[in-house]
Amino acid sequence: MADQVFLYALSTCPWCRKAKQWFTDMNVPFEFVDVDKLKRREQSEIAEKVFELSGGRRYPVAVINGEVVAGYNPERYLQLLNSVG
Amino acid sequence: MSGPPWVATVDDAKVPEGVPVAVYPKGLPVLVIRRDGELFAVANKCAHMGCPLEAGALDGYTLTCPCHDWRFDIRDGEFLDAPELSLATFAVKVDDGKVLVRLEEA
Amino acid sequence: MTMADTNRQDALRYLFERVVAPLGFKFTPDEELAAFLLEQEVKLEQDHGAPFCPCQGRTGVRADDMKIVCPCIPFHREHFDRMRRCWCGLFVHKDVTDPGSLPQFPPDEA
Repeated sequence: MADQVFLYALSTCPWCRKAKQWFTDMNVPFEFVDVDKLKRREQSEIAEKVFELSGGRRYPVAVINGEVVAGYNPERYLQLLNSVG
Repeated sequence: MSGPPWVATVDDAKVPEGVPVAVYPKGLPVLVIRRDGELFAVANKCAHMGCPLEAGALDGYTLTCPCHDWRFDIRDGEFLDAPELSLATFAVKVDDGKVLVRLEEA
Repeated sequence: MTMADTNRQDALRYLFERVVAPLGFKFTPDEELAAFLLEQEVKLEQDHGAPFCPCQGRTGVRADDMKIVCPCIPFHREHFDRMRRCWCGLFVHKDVTDPGSLPQFPPDEA
């Protein structure tokens, strides 16, 4: 089954960049949003969503096949992906 | 008399209850505060990023830095969220209507 | 990056060193990471008034946002002590020599 990966990120955060790079290197298609680049109103909506998902406002937050991973954590990413590992 | 000198700063009458007053004994930024009638003197420079504290809010003995809300106890200078960090405090007394600050950390 | 930005980064290094050392932390030995994070913090300070953590989101509620102004260690100490680093990794415990090996996990995970 194809993996569904969405990444909530901040453009200022190096760990978010590392996460994007990791999925790219692993050839895992993913979608992402840099929350701080959104317009103010959208920004608070998405930030609230991130809080609901992860219980915090620490980035990156990855949602992999419905599972939430807060923090840059390649080991956990591997466990949750069907197509890699 | 040996030891660090007492330096005259502001008139005692010009230090109102609960309103921090910035003074500069020998050029040093110091804050004189009267709380419940007692005088306290702390460095007028936040332990975080060096912001002046005289515009900070005073609640009881807690002084909150106007820049980023770091909170200090004016009695011992202690930063309330980490006791390892603090503001320097100075001995203070009134002599002949003047507030004197001793320029050595208490 | 202008000369003024570089100067501000140096100033932040000086100010923050004095804050984090008594708390048992030091700047990460990963110089490239430290330089990038400080560059972001200077931009955040210019755009939003304070050197906020580059890896935590602001809410617009002052009481929340002031707890993620760098160095934010005092407000997240237990969590950061368990990771032996702060969330963005600008600071690590003093005995850390290999910051790349330190995991990043949320406060409710071991």
